[in-house]
Amino acid sequence: MNPKLRRILFSLAVLVWSGALLYFHATGRINKYLAPDFRPIAFVGGLGLAVLGFFNLLTAGQDAACGHDHRGDDGHDHETSDVHPLAALLLMVLPVVLSVAWTKDEYSAAALARKGLYDSPADMNTSFLASAMPPLTREMIEQSHRKTADDYYEFNLMELFFATGDREMQAAIDGLKVETEGRWIEEKTRNPQGTRKRLYRLFMTCCAADSRAIPIVLEFGKTPPELPENGWVKVAGTMRFPLEEGVLQPLLVADRALAAEPPFEESFLRK
Amino acid sequence: MSADSQQDFALAFLSILFEGAPFILLGTLASGFIDIYLPPGTMDRLLPKNRNLAVLAAGLLGAVFPVCECAVVPVIRRLVKKGLPVSCAITYMLAAPIVNPITALSTWKAFQGQGAAMMTCSRLLLGFLIAVAVGLIVSRLPLAMVLKEKLVRSLDEPEKNHAHDDCGHDHEHGECCGHHSSHDHAPLPQDDRLVAAFRSAMKDFIDVGVYFAIGVSITALFNTGIAPGAVWLDGLAGSLVGAPAALMVLAFILSLCSTSDAFIAATLDKFSWGAKLAFLTFGPMMDVKLIFLYQTVMRKNFIIALALGLFLAIGGISVFWQHLVLQVR
Repeated sequence: MNPKLRRILFSLAVLVWSGALLYFHATGRINKYLAPDFRPIAFVGGLGLAVLGFFNLLTAGQDAACGHDHRGDDGHDHETSDVHPLAALLLMVLPVVLSVAWTKDEYSAAALARKGLYDSPADMNTSFLASAMPPLTREMIEQSHRKTADDYYEFNLMELFFATGDREMQAAIDGLKVETEGRWIEEKTRNPQGTRKRLYRLFMTCCAADSRAIPIVLEFGKTPPELPENGWVKVAGTMRFPLEEGVLQPLLVADRALAAEPPFEESFLRK
Repeated sequence: MSADSQQDFALAFLSILFEGAPFILLGTLASGFIDIYLPPGTMDRLLPKNRNLAVLAAGLLGAVFPVCECAVVPVIRRLVKKGLPVSCAITYMLAAPIVNPITALSTWKAFQGQGAAMMTCSRLLLGFLIAVAVGLIVSRLPLAMVLKEKLVRSLDEPEKNHAHDDCGHDHEHGECCGHHSSHDHAPLPQDDRLVAAFRSAMKDFIDVGVYFAIGVSITALFNTGIAPGAVWLDGLAGSLVGAPAALMVLAFILSLCSTSDAFIAATLDKFSWGAKLAFLTFGPMMDVKLIFLYQTVMRKNFIIALALGLFLAIGGISVFWQHLVLQVR
């Protein structure tokens, strides 16, 4: 292939990647994909790719000697790729374009199930997540957790989830009136009366691909209120840790559940 | 693919791509500028004269000249023709993609919250030890057993190379001594070199980017459970021997770049870190694309022996190392 055309095709592939990175950054959607410390790296990477792509595009027709001896059979070449330029363009651009078109910035219920939505806390290999949680006592709860106007302690879902595996935290939280927020989804296990729902948030370590679902069970004692599936809700009630079919469950006996605005950071983050 | 699967694939694919692309760029820029600006005699001059010490030093050269596994094969091919001992060249070839600051940084970033320091140190140490061990073995083998016949013949023809008394490096004959060196050749315009460096960086980025895009696509399919073998792969995750073996096979097939493979490994959350260590050490040393690149330098029998040796040694050490760390903890 003509070297100039090859350089143009390669530059375009680089610019498509750059465009995707910068577009998601500019629209703020990058928050759904990367943990905070990776976002500036992605932005700088997007800018760097733009420089690389535009520089090569603008100099595509220029002759440039590298100063090396290229004669002989030494396989020494600075420009010829292993892959045909058109194939390279297709392989690099197609999945990016399709993904940008397909993405809804969140996982489906099936993928969430794979990411631990219906796992019990004991089944999850989350020792590294648990290690991120500080110790919790009644005194600390009163000092560090605000109360709502109707006297519920504001807890994040992760504290309630991990209390299941920590006897001290469990003792501190069991029977406490708490309010928490998360996404509202159907409860598929141990729900014969249809009185339960599940509340979850994702925990992201580096990127959305490594995120895990952090769930608790909601018990209403009657038909749960009609709220949008996978929408954000605030639920208040009394926290319990019953043993059900040999599995310790984090269970919130709900007094009320109301639709809510999503928080600025929808996933829990490492820091 | 259903609409739900498309949505899941897209989220996983883009998140890994956004995470890894800047590190590929960093690696290929470094590689491109080294390719153009670094005189080939530099490495020879840095190595000790003692054969064993030279192999040890070659295992650390990646810290000074960081190149990924795609870029390193053409480089060592050229260096071997310029007189670099084959044992040193192979040690550098195996170690440089792992024992370099860009790979260390990307591994450390990717494993934040998952024992990043332990994984980074283990990867660098294991990569270095394996590369040095292979280099020491190669130093005791006849060249004809390791290198392609054509390459051995070219090394045996001293009249094709000559040393300048006043510059200390070899030149290929031709119309002119066109390659870079530190003596009085007519200097090239800096503009030309900058353009050439950016072109070399872009070529490396495309070479790596193609494999990365394929690797990320396959990973996203497994990560979200769309791929048919996802459940089977998950089933191997708990196996002491099966898990590292499965991930080394995966690394071989995915052919990822060492500057970005940690971002894939970090998402394989059902697997132990020992299996991930095997993935991160074996992949940069042996994969599908490297098989083709290695064939430009080495004999087929040697490549097969190298692949089997690396598979067994890295798998075994990873299992042992994980067991040891768990005991200490």
